[in-house]
Amino acid sequence: MSQYAEEYTIAELVCVAVAREVEDGDILILGSFTPLAFVSYILAKITHAPNIMYMAYSSVDAMPFKLTFASYEAAATKGGLARWNMTECINSLYLGTGVDVEPISSIQADQYGNINISVVGDYQKPMLRGPGGAGAPEVVKMHRKMLGYFPNHTKRTLVPKVDFITGTRWRIGREARTKAGLRPGPIKYITNLAILTKEEENVPFRIESVHPGVKVEDVINNTGFELIAKDVPETEKPTREQIRLLREVIDPYGMVAFDFKSGKERLGYLRDILNKEVEALGY
Amino acid sequence: MKKERVLNQNKVGKLSDITKLIKDGDRVAVGGAWLSSHPMALIRQIIRSGIKNLSVITILGSVDIDLMVGAGCVDRLMFSFVSLEAYGLPPNFRRAIEKGNLKYDEITGLAIILGFEAAGRGIPFLPYRGPFGSDCVQQRPEFYKTIKCPFTGEEMVAVPAIKPDVAIIHAQRSDSSGTIQIEGTGGSDLELAKAAERVIVSVEEIVPTEIIRENPYKTKIPRFYVDMVIEAPFGAHPTSSIPTYVGDPWHMITYSEMAASPETFRQYVEQYVMRSEDEYLEAVGGLKHLNLLKKLAREVKLL
Repeated sequence: MSQYAEEYTIAELVCVAVAREVEDGDILILGSFTPLAFVSYILAKITHAPNIMYMAYSSVDAMPFKLTFASYEAAATKGGLARWNMTECINSLYLGTGVDVEPISSIQADQYGNINISVVGDYQKPMLRGPGGAGAPEVVKMHRKMLGYFPNHTKRTLVPKVDFITGTRWRIGREARTKAGLRPGPIKYITNLAILTKEEENVPFRIESVHPGVKVEDVINNTGFELIAKDVPETEKPTREQIRLLREVIDPYGMVAFDFKSGKERLGYLRDILNKEVEALGY
Repeated sequence: MKKERVLNQNKVGKLSDITKLIKDGDRVAVGGAWLSSHPMALIRQIIRSGIKNLSVITILGSVDIDLMVGAGCVDRLMFSFVSLEAYGLPPNFRRAIEKGNLKYDEITGLAIILGFEAAGRGIPFLPYRGPFGSDCVQQRPEFYKTIKCPFTGEEMVAVPAIKPDVAIIHAQRSDSSGTIQIEGTGGSDLELAKAAERVIVSVEEIVPTEIIRENPYKTKIPRFYVDMVIEAPFGAHPTSSIPTYVGDPWHMITYSEMAASPETFRQYVEQYVMRSEDEYLEAVGGLKHLNLLKKLAREVKLL
């Protein structure tokens, strides 16, 4: 029997792909509400990367926990080994030691590693006012590896140039990063179709792999900028064990699927999860 | 100049007393972060008291900012992030900006924190490796200045001290002299308290000083920064106050649905805000529901 799962959802595949980007010993941060990223951290920690340390809210070095919707901040806090408020986290981790990976979701991303979490259209009178970048404008350049994840890989998301540069990788190649005092590392966009990677300033993103069942043309046709597509392999599938851990241990309520739901479906999906959570409490 | 110390011993006030410290047109910094520990009871009281034309500063805002913007209290907003996260984009914030009805400064998160830190240290600016390449810098060149390190020559970004008139904060516990304990998720509330001219803190409970002394390491804001403490149980609701209670996802769903249009948002304000805090807590589900939020904060499964 193959070690790979025969059946899995696209959300699970992306979650496992993000987990595989985590290396043992990494320091990771949970920004705002990103259940997929958090499931990835926990999966990495209980499988191939037991020495990683993650921050969630004010909890330093949180323990792995079963992900729920209503109580996940409480769970992250309860298992932590220290409490640092936001200023302490920023001064110590972002500006100090350096965070290795923090998956960031944005409205648009482009061929230069720029992300837009601010506006679509004109800045003064936008068609869509987004939430803003929080600390991303300052920290995406500092992370060892810049990781963007996109549940909906289209030309509207992966654009030639973002409408507004909320944050940017700023220096890309090994030499330029080292010279600027930044740790070298790639930019990766993990999407529902493929994994795209960029390592050099003047070399376009390369299709690192396409997900099972996706054609290279599909990726090219849905991307708003030039891609290198040479001998593209298939993305490694989740293993049976990874899928079992996701479904039975870490994420029994299916929180990883949340980002993949449309805006309209989300509140209904949350209501269902909440009902199950309260039922499990015997309330 | 550093702000004056507040040394009187009894700082206990009522919600209705906030008008003594917050005036129309003030620059108000709001504590908490994400959907955690926002001073929601104080915000509801600002709306009830009809305080207007505020210049509001938030680092990571959510329903706190959306509610104030929707209720018409805010003239200008400085923020790095405002989102209802799982519950979608903040409807009032979006409407106000997309229609051009709100003046705003989108300042990157670390820069706002550094601005508070500079004010707290009594210095005019702080340098760091800023948001190089971000369009936020072009939008607000008066806030971001490039300077050269006098020692190494390295190019740095300097941001100015941010000095709010008032900081509003929610915490777990205080004594009557305003010694503030924060246990769970903390934004940059200490830095807000250091930077602001006046500081109002709502707390889950006001306790005798001896109780504070039992766990001094939980004290995050010493009393000389604090002007007024107000006991407001569930004062962060519908945001969380970990470890006491989780955020209220049921009410957040209600909020995001009712804030979706100006008409239903007006109903929301009538139904939930323009009442006493006791009536508010009853309206959101009463004791049984609030106890569920406490239980959800206690019973979590670590692996």
